[in-house]
Amino acid sequence: MLFRILDPQTKANQFWRDFDRLNDELTRSILDDQFGSSSHFPPVNVYTKEDEALVTCLLPGVDIDQIDINVKDHILSIHGKKKMEELAEGTEVHRREIFNGEFHRRLELPFRVNQDQVSAKYVNGVLNIHLPRREEDKPKKVSISLG
Amino acid sequence: MNTLTKETKQEVDGKREVTEVKPQVKVYSPNVDVYETENSLLFRVEMPGVDETSVGITIEKDQLLLEGKFQIPTVERGQVRLAEYREGNYLRRFTIGKAVDSDNAIAKIKNGILELTLPKIEPKKTKIEIRNS
Repeated sequence: MLFRILDPQTKANQFWRDFDRLNDELTRSILDDQFGSSSHFPPVNVYTKEDEALVTCLLPGVDIDQIDINVKDHILSIHGKKKMEELAEGTEVHRREIFNGEFHRRLELPFRVNQDQVSAKYVNGVLNIHLPRREEDKPKKVSISLG
Repeated sequence: MNTLTKETKQEVDGKREVTEVKPQVKVYSPNVDVYETENSLLFRVEMPGVDETSVGITIEKDQLLLEGKFQIPTVERGQVRLAEYREGNYLRRFTIGKAVDSDNAIAKIKNGILELTLPKIEPKKTKIEIRNS
């Protein structure tokens, strides 16, 4: 008769490894819910033309001095902080759904950007960033002459 | 978030009826903060892309309806590489438990946030005297 010898130590280790993994997944999922699904906040649209890219970003109720835009080669990074409005003393809170806190988006553009020419506008809570393509990277038309 | 399809009927030459199906309109449920002070109720609503001309506030009895239309400007934007949002309508409805003075409501919109202040009406206090019969 054969008996399978179980190593109690190995089983216990496996149990704690699984427990840690599940705990980590649960914590991340709770944090994502709490901070407005960090991977997609703020939501962005990206449009490209031959000579520039346009990134539009929904950012209602943010002070423009709290928005930080960085461009390096073909990477655009939008970082900032959304501050909560100060409430008068004695104010009762019935419902709070608007996100407050830090946000960060990093986007990869299909071409390198001329950093000196980047411009941004903030209208009605929408941030529009114009990113001109580097001159040397623009497609060049080659004229063909008859031989 | 959900999507609505609107259908309109048109009469052509007074005889035939043609059904025109409009493209789907996205309806967003915007985030709202609700506060109450001693004298008023305050609603803060996130409506990015909306200005004072494209927002609507209706108060009927105890129903508050907040609407907004978000249109992406028709500037030539080029090829779409990533689209995490699209134009549509904002819609949110609330039942107000307290009596409010809707004639003196104050609404303003700044940086895509609509702020609505509804002054409260104090309930009338009537003291009834009890007489000995």
